[in-house]
Amino acid sequence: MTKHPFHAPVPRMTPERLARRAFLRRSGLVVGGLAAAPWLLAACGGDDDDTGGATGGGGGGGTVRISNWPFYIDADDAGDPSKGQTIPGFEALSGYDVVYDELVNDNDEWFAKFSPDLAAGNPIGLDIAVLTTWMVERLIGLGYLEELDMANLPNVANLDPVHAAVAWDPGRRFSLPWASGLGGIAYNPTRTGRAITSVSDLFDPEFAGHVTVLTEMRDTLGLTMLSMGIDVTACTPADAQAAAAKLKAATEAGQFRRATGNDYVADLLTGDTWLAVAWSGDIISAQLEDPDLIWIAPDEGTMLFTDTMIIPRGAANKAGAEAWMNHVYDPAISAQIFAYTQYQSPVVGTKEKITELDPALAENPLIFPPADVQARTFTFKTLSDEEQIEFTTLFQDSIQA
Amino acid sequence: MTVLRRLAPRLLDAWAGVALLYLFTPIFVIVAFSFNDTGRFNLIWQGFSLDAWKQWTDSEPLTDALTLSIKVAAVSTLAATVLGSLIALALVRHRFTGSGVTNLLLVLPLTTPEVVLGSSLLSLFIDLGVSRGFWTIVVAHTLFCVSYVAVTVKARIRGFDWTLEDAAMDLGAAPLRTFRLVTFPLILPGIVAAALLSFALSIDDFIITFFNSGNEQTFPLYIYAQQRRGLGPEVNVVATLVLVVSFGLSIASVVVQRLRARPA
Amino acid sequence: MVRPATRAGRIERRIARAERGPADAVDAGPSRRGRRSTPYLLVGPGVAWLVLLFVVPLGSLLVTSLKTGSFAEGFETAVRLRNYSDALSESWEAIKRSFVFALVATLAAAAIGYPLAYVIAFRGGRYKGLLLGLVVLPFFTSFLMRTLAWKTILSDSGTLNTTVDRLHLFGALEFLRLVPEGSDRLLQTNIAVIGGLTYNFLPFMVLPIYVSLEKIDRRLVEAARDLYSNAFRAFRKVVLPLSIPGVMAGSLLTFIPAAGDFVNAELLGGPQQTMVGNRIQSRFFEQVDYPAAASLSFVLMALILIGVLLYARLLGTEELTG
Repeated sequence: MTKHPFHAPVPRMTPERLARRAFLRRSGLVVGGLAAAPWLLAACGGDDDDTGGATGGGGGGGTVRISNWPFYIDADDAGDPSKGQTIPGFEALSGYDVVYDELVNDNDEWFAKFSPDLAAGNPIGLDIAVLTTWMVERLIGLGYLEELDMANLPNVANLDPVHAAVAWDPGRRFSLPWASGLGGIAYNPTRTGRAITSVSDLFDPEFAGHVTVLTEMRDTLGLTMLSMGIDVTACTPADAQAAAAKLKAATEAGQFRRATGNDYVADLLTGDTWLAVAWSGDIISAQLEDPDLIWIAPDEGTMLFTDTMIIPRGAANKAGAEAWMNHVYDPAISAQIFAYTQYQSPVVGTKEKITELDPALAENPLIFPPADVQARTFTFKTLSDEEQIEFTTLFQDSIQA
Repeated sequence: MTVLRRLAPRLLDAWAGVALLYLFTPIFVIVAFSFNDTGRFNLIWQGFSLDAWKQWTDSEPLTDALTLSIKVAAVSTLAATVLGSLIALALVRHRFTGSGVTNLLLVLPLTTPEVVLGSSLLSLFIDLGVSRGFWTIVVAHTLFCVSYVAVTVKARIRGFDWTLEDAAMDLGAAPLRTFRLVTFPLILPGIVAAALLSFALSIDDFIITFFNSGNEQTFPLYIYAQQRRGLGPEVNVVATLVLVVSFGLSIASVVVQRLRARPA
Repeated sequence: MVRPATRAGRIERRIARAERGPADAVDAGPSRRGRRSTPYLLVGPGVAWLVLLFVVPLGSLLVTSLKTGSFAEGFETAVRLRNYSDALSESWEAIKRSFVFALVATLAAAAIGYPLAYVIAFRGGRYKGLLLGLVVLPFFTSFLMRTLAWKTILSDSGTLNTTVDRLHLFGALEFLRLVPEGSDRLLQTNIAVIGGLTYNFLPFMVLPIYVSLEKIDRRLVEAARDLYSNAFRAFRKVVLPLSIPGVMAGSLLTFIPAAGDFVNAELLGGPQQTMVGNRIQSRFFEQVDYPAAASLSFVLMALILIGVLLYARLLGTEELTG
């Protein structure tokens, strides 16, 4: 239990902390707001007209349409992000109206849904979408994105240098990271009856029919590879085949209950799922319902992902999208978001602001992974188009019997 | 044997009762969970609360989706009812070359699985570079509703005494006047029934809509997307309301029919 | 109209003819007035619509199903029949499963639905309308909500699951291959998906059966009871044969959507319950492999069409169209 700090229920929230979080959320005391940079007011100059918004595909001048993954921004007690802190704060400050949905469930699914329109040059009704880096790389390659206007983005100066230099988007002309997180395992200790430490626990027949895996290939296939001692940063199609074969065998034996997107959280809460391949910060939203749930970075390693904001080609409100991006790159706002979601912020200065909010959060292993977790954190290799298809086909087949 | 004979009807009734219970079990769950005292996840019973009933209109995406569904259903029902009723009228009242093919063309969409209908339309829209949205949903819904309307209207008007029409014309009524005074009132109940069916089918369609909706969210698509991140009790409230309203409408229509049937 | 091959049919026909009288002879006949073009004007818009949005899209799907290439490189129009053999071999298990699930669901729906329709039609009395309303009512709520409600009902810790476990019924379900070996759960098993399909398409079974039962002349049933002096035999010889068209139509209306469904398998099933609908959906919406998705759609349609044609031979298209 003590070998890795994550095995102790560190990220679990005590009732006091839950209460505190609720207090922070309700009191509206949370930071930000006042960082009202003059640019923002300038940016939304004659843009106050928001009548065109609410309905219709294209969006009006005053509406910013953002599509993101679930559990990725602060929300009210009922889980409604539009009633959290950040979105109303931005709206009040900028005069823009934000339409925020949590419809991104899977990168491939998003691509399949929107690529025909993006390819045809049709607007897709979104000003910002948040997708994982490898997908963003593909979108840039296909020319589906609008170039960012850095004049509108002074806060990009706060971008963590780790993210600043990426080969596939030199100078960050098309994309800005939203958040990073880890792909590991979430579990319900009362159901499993023991602490979970390893990826191989996912394959333990004792848990047959009570394990879910993610449809996101890089997480599920990546963890499987790690458990087989394969280097995910340099894996070959043969490695993918071997890992897929392991998954397929388990699928056929009835080990996996479902392959899921974000819906694994619901199955964990009903107790139908005992352990799941899971994204780190989601556990916080889950713990609000069931404080017993635990998330771990397995011994074999954990998969790092970075979800990234982009502006799809033909976005109706590019200036509004940039205003939003700039807003969330304010360390105070970033602290407000990440204190809630407990993912990792790409914004320098967030840690200081979070410490001001709640000193305990500075030690939070989900927001600031400790050194030993960092040492076993891996990023999936960048795949060529052909490899992408080959890996995906192998993987999709392996999670369907 | 006599015991069995006496028992058999009771057994049948019991079986029907069990079947009705089976039909209603999920409905009880949906209604009960609209009173659940919970937030984002409405999976486990937490206690009784009226909060969701008080606040269900607060969720803008939910009300938007509902509004969109109603709009889509209204437009596609209107279109399908006109197109389908005309076809039905032609098939019942006239004998013409090509009626067989027309019949076949009507039945085929009903015997084609929704995934195939949905994916073939998607394939066409992609080929044509049509952006998916409100109108593609309407078009898709109208497609399958036309068949349902035509088949329903046909079945309802097949046994009618069309000699009335001839009588009217014999008495010197112009064709349009005959239609207005004789034909239309005759076929109206069938058309209304078909329109209602079409509305119900459209508002609840998931699969075909899923393929052709682009970034628009109808009520079923909203549920599908939301259940992945936790579906709050307000959706159960809407489902319950829909149930209550349609039940009310059915009762009302029965009452109206009874009143009409009563001799004056 | 079904060919009334049975004795009951003949009796019914005779009664009906006697009732109608000669004035009705023109009934089904063509309109004596109106111009020749009238039917075409009436049919025209609807048929154009169906051609444009049913036939043309199917053509487009057919073209897509034969294309080569990938999304990244672009799809090229070609005649690649291998897409079909690939679709068949890759998804054969899912196709087989879809048809088995749909068949079992259809049988279950008939077993539940026929007695229900019978009771409403023959024993409903003045509550007939109300009972029929009750059958349809649940289907006014959303299909997805109902399916999600089943997920709650079937949950591992739910009462139903616990009861099945206490009564040691899992062994029996396992024997029937309705749950996997050694299963302690109902959700994400065959029985959950089949149960969901049965439930969601049940009214499509009940209503046509009800209509066919309702059409039967009551005097005919009474006559048969006198003749056979036994309710069971009267049922077997008269009522059942006359209601067969309803059962047939109901079976088709249940079987077809069930075989192509992917929602029940996705929400109530697991990897072991993947149906062909799920494969088509994932080829379109995960892998962006349009040719594979399209050819799989065609395979599904062809198989169902074969089934329908066999059916149509049995009961004639008129009965199918209503």
